[in-house]
Amino acid sequence: MRISLRGAFGLAGIAWLAGMVWGQQPPAAEDLLRHAIELHQSGNVTAAIPEYRAYLKQVPGNVMARSNLGAALARAGLYEEAIAEYRKALESQPGNAPVRLNLGLAYYKAMKISQAADEVARVVKEQPSNRQAIFLLADCDLRLGENQKVIELLSPLERQSPDDKALIYMLGTALIRDNQPERGQVLVDRILRDGDSAEARLLMGATKMSVHDFAGALADFQKAVDLNPSLPDLYSYYGMALAATGDTPNAAVAFRKELASNPNDYTSNVQLGVLLKQEENYAEARKCFERAMEVRPGDASARYQLAAMDLLDGHTDEARIALEKLTREIPQFVEAHVSLATVYYRLKRKEDGDRERAIVLRLNAESQAAEPGAKVK
Amino acid sequence: MSRRFANIDRRQFLKSAAAAFALARYGRAGGPHLFEEIPPDASGIHWVHDNAASVDHYLPETMGPGCAFLDYDNDGWMDIYLVNSGPSDFYKPSKPIRNALYKNNRDGTFTDVTEAAGVAGGSFGMGVAVGDYDNDGFPDMFVTAYGRPILYRNNGNGTFTDVSEKAGLGAAVFENHWTTSAVWFDFDNDGRLDLFVCSFVDYGAKSHFSCGDNKLGKHFYCIPRVFKGTASLLFHNNGDGTFSQVSRGTDIEKATGKGLGVVAVDVNNDGRMDLFVANDTVQNFLFMNRGPDAAGKTRWEEIALAAEVGFSTDGRARSGMGVDAADFDGDGWQDLFVANVDQEMFSLYKNMKNETFTDVAFKNQVAQATRLLSGWGLRFFDYDNDGLLDLFLANGHPDDMIDNYSQQVKYKEPLLLFHNDNGQLRNVSAEAGPVFGKSFPARGLAIGDYDNDGLVDVLVGNNGGAPVLLHNNAGADHHWLGVKLEGVKCNRDAVGARLTWPAGGVTRSRVRNGGGSYLSAHDPREVLGVGTAKAVEWLEVRWPQPSGRTERFTSLPIDRYVGIIEGKGVSQSPVK
Repeated sequence: MRISLRGAFGLAGIAWLAGMVWGQQPPAAEDLLRHAIELHQSGNVTAAIPEYRAYLKQVPGNVMARSNLGAALARAGLYEEAIAEYRKALESQPGNAPVRLNLGLAYYKAMKISQAADEVARVVKEQPSNRQAIFLLADCDLRLGENQKVIELLSPLERQSPDDKALIYMLGTALIRDNQPERGQVLVDRILRDGDSAEARLLMGATKMSVHDFAGALADFQKAVDLNPSLPDLYSYYGMALAATGDTPNAAVAFRKELASNPNDYTSNVQLGVLLKQEENYAEARKCFERAMEVRPGDASARYQLAAMDLLDGHTDEARIALEKLTREIPQFVEAHVSLATVYYRLKRKEDGDRERAIVLRLNAESQAAEPGAKVK
Repeated sequence: MSRRFANIDRRQFLKSAAAAFALARYGRAGGPHLFEEIPPDASGIHWVHDNAASVDHYLPETMGPGCAFLDYDNDGWMDIYLVNSGPSDFYKPSKPIRNALYKNNRDGTFTDVTEAAGVAGGSFGMGVAVGDYDNDGFPDMFVTAYGRPILYRNNGNGTFTDVSEKAGLGAAVFENHWTTSAVWFDFDNDGRLDLFVCSFVDYGAKSHFSCGDNKLGKHFYCIPRVFKGTASLLFHNNGDGTFSQVSRGTDIEKATGKGLGVVAVDVNNDGRMDLFVANDTVQNFLFMNRGPDAAGKTRWEEIALAAEVGFSTDGRARSGMGVDAADFDGDGWQDLFVANVDQEMFSLYKNMKNETFTDVAFKNQVAQATRLLSGWGLRFFDYDNDGLLDLFLANGHPDDMIDNYSQQVKYKEPLLLFHNDNGQLRNVSAEAGPVFGKSFPARGLAIGDYDNDGLVDVLVGNNGGAPVLLHNNAGADHHWLGVKLEGVKCNRDAVGARLTWPAGGVTRSRVRNGGGSYLSAHDPREVLGVGTAKAVEWLEVRWPQPSGRTERFTSLPIDRYVGIIEGKGVSQSPVK
């Protein structure tokens, strides 16, 4: 869960650093490393980084020092460089779970949630009781929309720790998102036993959202904001409820608040992007979709929105390439076919446009035939 | 019946109207409001729409009513027609329900002449399209319905006759069609008005699908998405009082939709009237009239997707309801407008002159103003006679319980007025008068100058309520020329005619499109605003085919109506 993971990156690095092995170092190199660690522990990562680099120039094979450098780089926000160092460290010790967990964290911080999930999943596989890794993986999966995976991952822990609020909260979120509001509600009730809380309100609101009770959800989210405005995901949900009840200006404000504390929030990025696109603020909308895409690289919605942005910006050929790929991968994606038809017509490829139009008509007809009122005579 | 026109009657009217409305209009500092609501006691219009509201929430209940301005007795004064619900398979009224025809008394009041005119309806009415299909100089009416629509032929003596069956527009033709908006226009340029009729959803022949209970534990109006669409219908006027359905085998029949609004408009300036249809929850249709094939049958090509007016920029179908077309930016090409449901925002499609359009709703403040609204009746017209086409929108949410689910979206919604500032629309609702601060369950909207003062007034049909008549007080310092066109070789109503007029150094142009709005019909006359210019230098009329002739008129009067007869010149007396 994100609450418990915030700051865990640095702590894991330093704690692990404290236990690192010394010895077999040239004296000068040993001094460099000691100094680097002191700087690192004192929080002066900017100064620690060149010390680590200088040390590693002399002792390139020290996995621990390289991992520490990764930790310092990550602490300094240099995630790509941190990832490179962690990867080098893992080349020497591929089975080093703490380093891999740190790599996962670096990916996570770098908004590469999919890669983060891959690395952390390997840690969990090797260390199935590593709660930190489990929580990080669950968080990644939630962001990736892999709700079922979260449920499978956390359900056994829930039986072991039925009163772990953080765990219940995360599992409840996955259940609600997975259209299992009844099970989610049970968890909400469990949280509520200990009194009103932002977490409980958020879950209650999310449950109501899942059954389209937007006004009810909005009231819960408002209460949650009163109780703990810094609760992760809260403003994202709040924004969605505001948008669903028609208050899009405040929805945009809410999404921005979520993104201020958590720029990786996929939902807020997409939702804010859509609102900005409607307001023809294409430049900022594109940034939101691009960030959403970084969080979920293969995500069809983000890819479609970016293609739609290309279409709006007149980058017709870029839109065509993206939409052709998207429609090949997801043949039922009606909106993508609509946009692809538009692209072809703009490119004067009438035959291709007509083919896409026919697909749109067929998909819509199939969808219409499935509507309940269409079957009653 | 008086045939005097314009000046004398207008003065008489203004005298009495001034007395009647003095308190309301001038009772505050700063002069009159742009639009003033005329209460029923002042207008004499006491008719109220019965929406047949029931606990079961049958969808037709929330869809009406339409309304019209028409001069049924040809006296030069706009009368009013209001469409009501009526008996149906789900509604058995406990007391008689009827449509209403109100005759204009030329003093700001109206008299109900429904019974004498024989236009009470009889089925669950929706809307009305007005056109002189038999070219006899008197407007006829096609009343759409959930159930049997009615073609009322105007007998020319203040009465109408239901000629539906005789004309080939009987109940059997419309079986399984819930008809909504309709438009009279001449698609084959043979000089006779043909008829296009929007068909909404397949609501079921006997039993009706229910969407169950909402969270209030009550039945609610189904979103039309759950119902199957239907094909709209096109009828050719045979010239002998009968019509033939000619949409079979064409794109019009192939395009299954849920039609609610239609406007006949020549979008590519090829001299043929095309059709733009707003569909609810499925894509809109743009039927291009490609002219006759080798066998003489008109070819229709549905190009909405290619034209970029079918879906939103997100590739989604919206809930199109009302439509209109006009050259709002004065570039000589007809632009399109669609009103959608809340959260979808309305669309203003600028014509790119190559059979494609670009949505410029945001640039014109329309998108922002309509995000929370659901739009139905609407019309481009020059409310202040500055020569530029402004925009009036009537709104209301279809779900009568929406207030319980949403903090922002309401069942009753405000009217909106946009002023055209040199081709750019600006929302001026806040400064247009107290009526824009009120909310209505609005549906139909018709425009018409009922007091012949050259300022076009507005009529709004409200679901389950009284209509709202709005008197236009704007542009009193602007001049105008009112024109009633009368085709001789072309269709009598001159639908498709283009008017061009220079005044004060600016040349403007306007096309007389067919239909537009939602379930409603407008004053057929064109009021050409010239701003502060003192005269219209000349007026050019390009009549629609089959003549296609262009005539230029000079020495025209100002601030009054004239009649212009194709090939015969100007008449300053009422057009017979």
